[in-house]
Amino acid sequence: MAASVRLLTAVPICDGHDSAISTINLEFIHHGIEVVYLGYHRSARDIVRAAIQEGVDAIGISSYNGGHVEFFAEVVALLKKQRAAKIGVFGGGGGTITKADATIMQRKGVDRIFFAGTPMEEMIRFAREAYGGRRRRSVKLPRFSAGKRKTMAPCIGITGPGGAGKTTLIDELVLRWLKVQPDARIAILSHDPSIVGKGALLGDRATMIYSQDDRVFMRSLATRGRAGGLSPETAQWVRTMKHGGFDVVFVETVGIGQEAMPFRSKLVDKSIFVMSADYGSQLQLQKIAMLDVADIVVVNKGDLAGAPTAVAEVGRRIERGRSGQRVIATVAKRHRDPGVDCLFEELRS
Amino acid sequence: MSALARICESVEAHARFVREQIRRAREDSKFRAALLKRWRAIRASIATVQTPTGIELPTLALPTSNDPGEIARYLFGEGFPGEFPFVNSIYREMYLPGSGGRMPEEPTRLFAGLGLAEDTNERFHYLTQHQRSIRLSTAFDGPTLYGMDSDADGVFGKIGEGGVAIDTVEDMERLYDRFALGDERLSVSMTINGPAPIILAMYVAAAQRRFGGKVIRKLRGTVQADILKEVQAQNEIIFPLEASLRFLADMVAHTTEHLPRWYPISISGYHIGEAGATPVQQAAYTLSNGFTYVELFRGRGLAVDRFGPRLSFFLDCGLDVEYVALARVCRKLWAIGMRDVFGAGEAAQRLKLHTQTSGRSLIALGFKNNLTRTAIELFLAYLNATNSCHSNSADEPFTTPGEEYVRLAAHAQSILLEETGLFRHMMNLFTGSPGMRILEETLEKAILEEFRTIDRLGGVLAATEQRYQRSQIQEAAHLYEQQTGDGTRPIIGLNRYPASTESFVEPKVVRTPRSRKQLQVDRLRKFKHRHRHQSARALDELAGVVESGGNVFAELLKTVECCSLGQITGRLFEVVGRFRPSV
Repeated sequence: MAASVRLLTAVPICDGHDSAISTINLEFIHHGIEVVYLGYHRSARDIVRAAIQEGVDAIGISSYNGGHVEFFAEVVALLKKQRAAKIGVFGGGGGTITKADATIMQRKGVDRIFFAGTPMEEMIRFAREAYGGRRRRSVKLPRFSAGKRKTMAPCIGITGPGGAGKTTLIDELVLRWLKVQPDARIAILSHDPSIVGKGALLGDRATMIYSQDDRVFMRSLATRGRAGGLSPETAQWVRTMKHGGFDVVFVETVGIGQEAMPFRSKLVDKSIFVMSADYGSQLQLQKIAMLDVADIVVVNKGDLAGAPTAVAEVGRRIERGRSGQRVIATVAKRHRDPGVDCLFEELRS
Repeated sequence: MSALARICESVEAHARFVREQIRRAREDSKFRAALLKRWRAIRASIATVQTPTGIELPTLALPTSNDPGEIARYLFGEGFPGEFPFVNSIYREMYLPGSGGRMPEEPTRLFAGLGLAEDTNERFHYLTQHQRSIRLSTAFDGPTLYGMDSDADGVFGKIGEGGVAIDTVEDMERLYDRFALGDERLSVSMTINGPAPIILAMYVAAAQRRFGGKVIRKLRGTVQADILKEVQAQNEIIFPLEASLRFLADMVAHTTEHLPRWYPISISGYHIGEAGATPVQQAAYTLSNGFTYVELFRGRGLAVDRFGPRLSFFLDCGLDVEYVALARVCRKLWAIGMRDVFGAGEAAQRLKLHTQTSGRSLIALGFKNNLTRTAIELFLAYLNATNSCHSNSADEPFTTPGEEYVRLAAHAQSILLEETGLFRHMMNLFTGSPGMRILEETLEKAILEEFRTIDRLGGVLAATEQRYQRSQIQEAAHLYEQQTGDGTRPIIGLNRYPASTESFVEPKVVRTPRSRKQLQVDRLRKFKHRHRHQSARALDELAGVVESGGNVFAELLKTVECCSLGQITGRLFEVVGRFRPSV
């Protein structure tokens, strides 16, 4: 069942109050709504850019740190400027947004402000009625999103178990790419699982820092019940992105198990399997199917005690496989990590 | 064995020790005689006081039992007020009117911060006009909390909202203008975490500008600087955890040496509680964070008896029953851990506690009920012998507190401590009840269980990285929402006896006018322009110190003279990166 409403939720800049929005996100997805969560401390520009890229029906903002009248107005104005005024805006802030504020905000184009004590059902009903079935989603790059490159972009697939650090790794690669090539345009296609029969929480953006940039186009897809870590729309999006004038396209799968080989029939030009150094025993290593086909194996979390052993074991494991495979040890969470530098060079060459 | 596992063992060993003392008091006549002699001396040392109605009471409440075992349980298990393990209090007399010329604890501390530095300065003077000791507790606005300048893209609306806007050392001079910063009776608290070292450096530099270098050793106060709880709960961390901890350790190393009266970190459960944690989770995460800092600072070669006495704690106090005894249990676990695992002396065993009433327990609907909620929480805080306390204003759910409700909140504390007879005649009037003991035992057991879980995950840092505390807090918050939604957690005016929204008269809201915000932006730009020839070099030098492993705080004291907060964080981001949020 395709979700009928797709929302982007976020907490404004200089505000870390994510408790309310975390609860609301869960309620939304349990009621069939797809939520792209951008996280806290996000600027109006970041929010509007993400909303347009993600093709959402509306933006929900949870603000508890004041300055909401200006902030919401900025979001509405930016949407208008980007010719995306059809994207709705709603929000709340417990008791911090007064009735008088809400009146001003609604006059400035905010659809609805929820006050403290609003039952969750009312919020869900509102989201469905106001934003449900608004428009058909197409696999098309939004206005102003495409890059300028004439040739087809190389596509790099990144997969691996959940928690291995795939999203962090992409974000760190993006940082390097944008620094080395200031006119670079990068596309990211990310995947998150849907709960069967329900919505999906697409949360990769919330942990990304450097990919919140006008030069980066990112789209988050829900798997919608598809096995293997990708979505029914994946192939179409990859094609669109490859021809979208970008310099590189990253495709990140959901966290996969041992048997999965998500990238079929030349979907990607290069595949990276990211694993954590704490995979368990050597026997477990033998069972990981992706190790046989990945072009690059990244052993992340190289700061863990068992990392040197892991790198050696993985090296031995793939030696017996096809030639040309590389093993790179990284600590993606570390700033300026030499391992990530090395991976970056490998991908650029 | 990890520190947390050793702490669990020490607590159990202490329980065995207490049981052994009880047994000896009952069975060993020589031991009993010595114990009873000490007990009689203690009793004799307690002064009596006459109440206004003319009855006479001892100033300290002790068990009335003559059973030697019971006396041993009290003395070794709880500790006489001011004695190990400090269950009753860390000092012998807390709120009693001064005896022997010593000033009693004067715990009222009011949090304030709004608009620009001079607006908050005015509020500070208003709040402290009748107080003997001046305790300034500072709230910062969003951009300052996130280390951003007021002229940064997209933050204009946030300037001066919810706290004071501080961009430069000059703002810091304005903020505490007309206060004698080196005065014995003045202390300054600054609620700031991610950029804490930069803000403290600005404070020290501002004090030095106004009073000369000699004032530095006299400065009293605290910065929150609790980075771990930011990752776990409050999300106001800006640098990666490893770099944040290094900047913190640099700051603690510096203050230990040069600001001997400063509390360089306030280990905070408040935000963990406010983010949704249960009281047990709040206590367990806060204490385990505290022990982690002790390990960190010791790892930097600092002596536990040097920095230990300068650590302080900050807990939430809400309406759940656990709050009757939560801080009592925390004091005990801290004392045992510090003494038996870290070999700390008595000064470092004392858990110095600041309490704030729960903001989460307050609601906008029928908001005057918040006066009652806060009053009850205040009572619980004092029941737990807190060393200082902030009472929330009833209007906080919807605005920066207005003067009327700030005054009511302050007066609630005075009514409790000065007007009622609950705390001014006798220490520990309410402790020692069977109910309280049952609660203490239950809480202690649950907190130790949490310690063991964190230990199994590899300790506090590993658990934090695995998002353990964070996900537990979120789960508890979710449950709380469900309970308020379905009414199993009654909240008057919200899900029971609902306040009519029709009759809700919106109270006055305090906001910072546009012109004030623009003024802040303008003078920041002027500051940057005036220092344009020095700032680039100062930032390079700062970056050099970060790269070479020198003391970053010592360098910041120079950097803040010519660089703004945002210029400094911006440069540090280049060197150490930004914090990557987890959800």
